[in-house]
Amino acid sequence: MTEAAFDYPQCRITPLRMLKPDSAEALLNEVVKIPGIRRMMINGPNLPRTVPYGPARGKPNPNSNRKVIDVGGSEFELHVQVGTIILEVLDESVTQKIRALCDRFFTKFPYQLQTGKKYMKTQPTTADYAKYGPNVDPSLIGLVDPRNKEGPIIIQGR
Amino acid sequence: MAYKPQYGPGTSHVAENRRRQMNPDIELDKVRNVTDEDIVLILGHRAPGSAYPTAHPPLAEQQEPDCPIRKIVKPTDGAKAGDRVRYVQFVDSMYNGPSQPYQRTYTECYRFRGIDPGTLSGRQIVECRERDLEGYAKWLIETEMFDPALTSVRGATVHGHSLRLAEDGLMFDMLQRCIIGDEGVVTYVKDQIGEPLDRAVSLGKPLDDAWVKAHSTIFHSLVGSSYRDDKEYIEYIQRIHSLRTKYGFMPVEE
Repeated sequence: MTEAAFDYPQCRITPLRMLKPDSAEALLNEVVKIPGIRRMMINGPNLPRTVPYGPARGKPNPNSNRKVIDVGGSEFELHVQVGTIILEVLDESVTQKIRALCDRFFTKFPYQLQTGKKYMKTQPTTADYAKYGPNVDPSLIGLVDPRNKEGPIIIQGR
Repeated sequence: MAYKPQYGPGTSHVAENRRRQMNPDIELDKVRNVTDEDIVLILGHRAPGSAYPTAHPPLAEQQEPDCPIRKIVKPTDGAKAGDRVRYVQFVDSMYNGPSQPYQRTYTECYRFRGIDPGTLSGRQIVECRERDLEGYAKWLIETEMFDPALTSVRGATVHGHSLRLAEDGLMFDMLQRCIIGDEGVVTYVKDQIGEPLDRAVSLGKPLDDAWVKAHSTIFHSLVGSSYRDDKEYIEYIQRIHSLRTKYGFMPVEE
């Protein structure tokens, strides 16, 4: 395995309530304006396109939370209800800016900003090796579920 | 002296709520009105207005064996008519949900007849004859055993009881069976297994935080009453734990 050459600080925003797509879009659009964010991941419980099991298995699952949102000019469909947002930043000063943003943004309910831990993996696992091979782009590691066919979203700098 | 059931230990309001739900002599407050048709729609077992499909002929039309137990136990209406066995399943949020799986099972065993409850960590299912089920489900939804935001009727895909609530206060539901409108009224747009309904079923507004906290049967140190604060409950649980641990050796209380 390759060495962890990309040891950047990470932080995780955890609001007390899970966000609706509109709020998530508003928050993420503010977050992407902060310079110095390398990678970002949205976590939360899955919102499947079809009913995954039970008597209605395979039938369509219309869900207003599975919505296309626009973040920094890039459109993508939310596959999860936004529970946590993990960010990999260039240095600690960026984390402070994110904290200041969250203080302004979360007025109706509190949030928690955790820092300094590995919330996103930085080294390829066996599954990553099987999917991407030995010369994987390090910026992909930890961002995408290796079983998922869709790749990450690239948000261009302003 | 006649035996008087105590239903459960504890001095906290959570313990009192648990006893209140379990005790069949106490009539729980009716919090909302739901029509029989609404219940049939949410359950999704038969079309509203259709006859009850049967699993066997009515008891009156068949020769029953000469059995002393059958003479003692009076059949329920559903059993008498030969209804199919169907189910309803509830999920309660850990964030001050008005009931929880074990509590539901205890309550139903004390209050209902002819049921087969199944208790799991995040959901509780009860099976019985269809006609009886509709009556029981109506009671479970109309009384204080139910809150539209924190309790949900979910036949399958139940994930959500332990998750943070959504921004609008609803418990997470992968299938979004119910939605909350601009006026704060919760309506079911899918039946309990996730198939869209022909018409939405309104279950009213979620109850306010103070009511929910006062009527909760779940200990939760962050959003409600802490389990460790109820000394009597702890003492009871420790006694049970101690006795069942010692039972294999010599079940004598010291």
